[in-house]
Order: sequence, then structure tokens, then C-alpha cells
Amino acid sequence: MEARVAGVPEDEESGLLPRPSAAGRRPSSRGPRFPPPPAAWATVDGPLGLPLEEAEGHARRFFLWGFACLPFLWAINCCYFWPVLRSPAASSPAAFGSIRPYVVRSAIGFTIFSVVLITWATTFIVGGERLFGPGWNDLVMYNVADKLGLSGFMG
Amino acid sequence: MADAAPAVPGDPPPRATVLDSLGEDITRIVYPVSACMLLVVLLVSLLSSPDSPSPLTASIAAATGGGGGGGDNIPTALITALTFVVSVTAATFLLALLFYLRCTPCLRAYLGFSALAVLLVLGGQVALLLLTRLRLPLDAVSFALLLPNAAGALALAALAPASVPIALHQAALVAIAVLTAFWFTLLPEWTTWALLVAMAVYDLAAVLLPGGPLRVLLELAIERNEEIPALVYEARPVDPRHGRNWRLWREGRQPGGDLDASSTTVEVIEEVLGRHLDANSGNGSSPQVREAATSAGDVSNSRPRATLAAALSSSDSTVVQAGEVLALQEHRMAIAEMRVPLIQPRPERSGEEEEDEDGIGLSSSGAIKLGLGDFIFYSVLVGRAAMYDYMTVYACYLAIIAGLGITLLLLAFFRKALPALPVSIALGVVFYVLTRTLLEEFVVQCSTNLLMF
Repeated sequence: MEARVAGVPEDEESGLLPRPSAAGRRPSSRGPRFPPPPAAWATVDGPLGLPLEEAEGHARRFFLWGFACLPFLWAINCCYFWPVLRSPAASSPAAFGSIRPYVVRSAIGFTIFSVVLITWATTFIVGGERLFGPGWNDLVMYNVADKLGLSGFMG
Repeated sequence: MADAAPAVPGDPPPRATVLDSLGEDITRIVYPVSACMLLVVLLVSLLSSPDSPSPLTASIAAATGGGGGGGDNIPTALITALTFVVSVTAATFLLALLFYLRCTPCLRAYLGFSALAVLLVLGGQVALLLLTRLRLPLDAVSFALLLPNAAGALALAALAPASVPIALHQAALVAIAVLTAFWFTLLPEWTTWALLVAMAVYDLAAVLLPGGPLRVLLELAIERNEEIPALVYEARPVDPRHGRNWRLWREGRQPGGDLDASSTTVEVIEEVLGRHLDANSGNGSSPQVREAATSAGDVSNSRPRATLAAALSSSDSTVVQAGEVLALQEHRMAIAEMRVPLIQPRPERSGEEEEDEDGIGLSSSGAIKLGLGDFIFYSVLVGRAAMYDYMTVYACYLAIIAGLGITLLLLAFFRKALPALPVSIALGVVFYVLTRTLLEEFVVQCSTNLLMF
């Protein structure tokens, strides 16, 4: 290490910052000054997502609003808190424990909704007129759209 | 920077600039722009046939007093474009006024309403068109159940980025842009081109001229250090430690840490600076620098920030004297007034259709922000090119991406909010005209004579 002029940074990267040792910190304390980040982030975005404190309230809100005929909110809940869902209940961190019931129930709700919807839609598509009779033509969306003139303004 | 020998005293260390980490940022902006354009081209190819006149021709002709012939001639086009620009200007001034009067609930309500309207009405129309053209036998009950649900979920994702996965938020913004752009491509041809050119000129004027509405809005936002509620696409920050919640988390654990409300300016310095340092110090030779960057970035009292700010204000002098560290208190006052060139406030434009933002800038987390209006008009250009032939699509796509790259470079150099439309639209229009007149002839002749392709 060559002799340093006072104030001149030792390596090129620190040229834009004052020397931390000059600011009064002990040079030997290289360890992090702050507690390390939580071992696991509750959301799928990791450090960019919700902090743990807000996660529970958020999960709860989405779960409750999903009952207002908005099952996609349940899906969003499950996707967003995927790490909570995937971590096995025994070994997950303590903070997950309060979030987990809401996420699990959202998952169950969305599964039920999607099963019902897919069953109905598949029956409709596959069954066709054989199953429903002439009523099929009244229920198919493109006929309904033509009848009501819904797609008129876009040609 | 490589693991080089220690700097000789007096040898200026290389400055970290925004350019060093711009590669990843550019990619993260180009992907969604390309995805938006691709979806619009797909929709246009599937849904419109070149023979049918534009469905909006008749209404435009009626509105402009029935210009001679059809609705698709140049005077009508100019009148329509001018009308649109005037209404956008008026809407932006109204937005600036509301922002000045601090009517943030009004703005958010309008944003929510317009996002929902686009997704529900336009999205429903596009879905119906797809179902009809492709003869997909979806039944009315499922459709009635799925459409409001999807529209509501996407609108929520677009407006409340903190509550949904980032990917979903970005996808919702792209969806809104795709739907609006598709709607715009339904205009008659001359009108579309006149509109694009007029919007590019308006964008240039509104962001750069001192009296322009966007600039006024910008300065208001900087002055108050508030965020303008608007639909803007923000690329995911390259380093997750610069995310909002990481910083909040770390600040929350500081003893006596109080969030300095007027610290947005300086936070940007830390974020961007920290990013460059991290990008540069790939070797492990400067752990203290990284620590200092993160510690300076996290401690919410302003002592290290003032130091950082002081360091940046004297960025020409590459040697930071140790004495500057001690002269902190007076710098604390200087922070508020200091307009550090690294912050990029976001310009905003309010269109009729929604509160899009126009222009490009860096957000408070150092990621690049691109207004949704830019997405829309790029896609309109490419969609209109798709109505002619795929050759023009490729040419215009390359032109727009080149224009976007140029704008990002200019952003790196000028470090203030810039309009993102003019360069790309200019290049796009030029390339479209050249392709259609010159390149097509050439390619067709070569192909028919079996010379190339």
C-alpha cells in the first residue's frame, strides 16, 4: 500500500464518498451496522414487496374483499404471498403464521371458483347444442353480442 | 472497475455515471415496450381487415362538419389532430390546477375511473371482437363473470402497485396501453399520422418549454416533493436493495430514525450513487465503500446524506477532502435548495382517455419511468404500420426502439425529464415513409427476379 495523501481515497471506487473512517466510525467494524434483512420475505417480490408488518393486514383485506364476487383477488393474494404458501407450516418463520390462514383460505376459495367455472364452461363448449338444445345459441357470447349490438362501435 | 492498483495520488478516479448501469435498465424498458407493440400488432392483424373502412370515419366526418369526400382526407385529419392536442393541453392544465390545489383524491378517483373504463369497455369490446372473429364458443354467463372480475383486478393492479406483484402491475399497465392503442388504430389513416406528429410536437413543447403544462406540473411536483398520481410504467430496479420497502424496512430499525419528508432528492442520490458503486465495485476490494453507500442510504438523519450531497455537489473535484465530512450542518440547509442533477422528476400529461404520463425520467428508486402515453403512441404507430404490411412493422419497430435508446442516452446526459415521443415518432414516421416508398419497391423487385430473399 503506497503512502496516502490525507483525504485522497485509497481506491478508485470510493472517490465519490468521504472515507467512512474519517466520519468517526471505527475502521475495524466492518460488519453490518444494522440487523440483517429478514431471512424470508413474505411476498414473491422479495425486498421490493410488502414489508412483513403490512403483509397480514393486506392478506386479510384481499381475502375479505374476494367475497364480493371478486375471486381474482383471491388469486392475487395467493400469487403475491407465494412464499408463505409454499413454506411448510412447521418450519416457516413466525411472522408467516399470521398471514398463512388468509392465504390458504384464499387459495381454497379460488380453487373452488375456478373448478366451478371451468366445469361449466367446458360443459357448455363441449356439450354444444346436443346438450342444451336451441338454448345454446341464445347463450353463446357472440350471438348475445350481435343481438345486443355490443360490439357495434368498434366495427 | 477492475482490481486495479491503488490510485496514484492526484490521478482522478473514473466517475461512475448513469451510463454504467444503463444497459440493464434499457432492457427492462425495451421489453415491455416491445411486448405492447407485439400485442397491438397481433390484435390489428387478427381483427382488422384492410378493405373495411375505419369504423370511426363516419363519426369523425360528422364531427368535423363533413369534410369533402370521406372522412379520410388531409384537412379533416389536421383538424382532428389539432382538436385532440388542444383538448390534451386543456386537460393537462386542469390536472396541474387540481394538483396545485392538492385535490389528490380527485386525481386518484379520475385515474381509477379511467383505468376501469378502459379495461371494462375497451377490453370488453376487444374480447367480443376476438370471440366473434375466432368463433370461440364462450357462453354469456362466464363472460359476464370473467370480464368485470378481470377488469377490476387489473385496474387494482395498475393503480395500487404496492398491493400486487410487480409483474402483475406492469402487465396491467401494458394491458391498458394495448387496449388504448388498439382503439387509436381504428382511426382513419391520415388522422392517425397527423395525430402522431401533433402529439410528438406537443410533447416536445409541453415538457421543454417553460410555459408548457407538463413542465409546470413537474416543477410543482419537485417543489412539493410529492408524487403525481398517474399511470406510469416503472421498470423494476436493478438492485433490490433500492426498492422502496427495503429502505423503509431499514430505516424503521434505526434508533431515532425519522423519515425526512423532504429527502426525496437526496434519496435519489444515494440510490443512484449506490447503484453505480455496486456496479463498479464488482470486486470485493471496497467493502467499506459499499457499506458506506448503504449506511448513508439508510440512516435517516441527514448527516451522511449531507456528506453525500456535498460530495456530489463537488463532483468535479474527484478528490473528496476528509474535511468535508466535518462540515455537515451547513450542507443540511443546502439540500433542500440543491437541484442535484441526478434526480429525474417525472413529467406528466393527462390524455382524454386516462392519466397517462408522458416523458421519461428516473423514479425515486433510480429505475427508469416511462409514461403510458409513450407506450400508447409507439404502439399506435406500429399498429398502423401493421395495417399496411409486416415490412413496415419491422422497420418502424426498429426505428422506435432506436429512438427510445437515443432518448435514454439523452436522459443520461441531461439528467432531467425528457419527452420520449419526439425522437421515436420522428424516426418511425420517416422509416415508414421510406419503407413504403423505397424499400418496398426494392424488395419486391428483388424477390420477383429471384435475386434475394
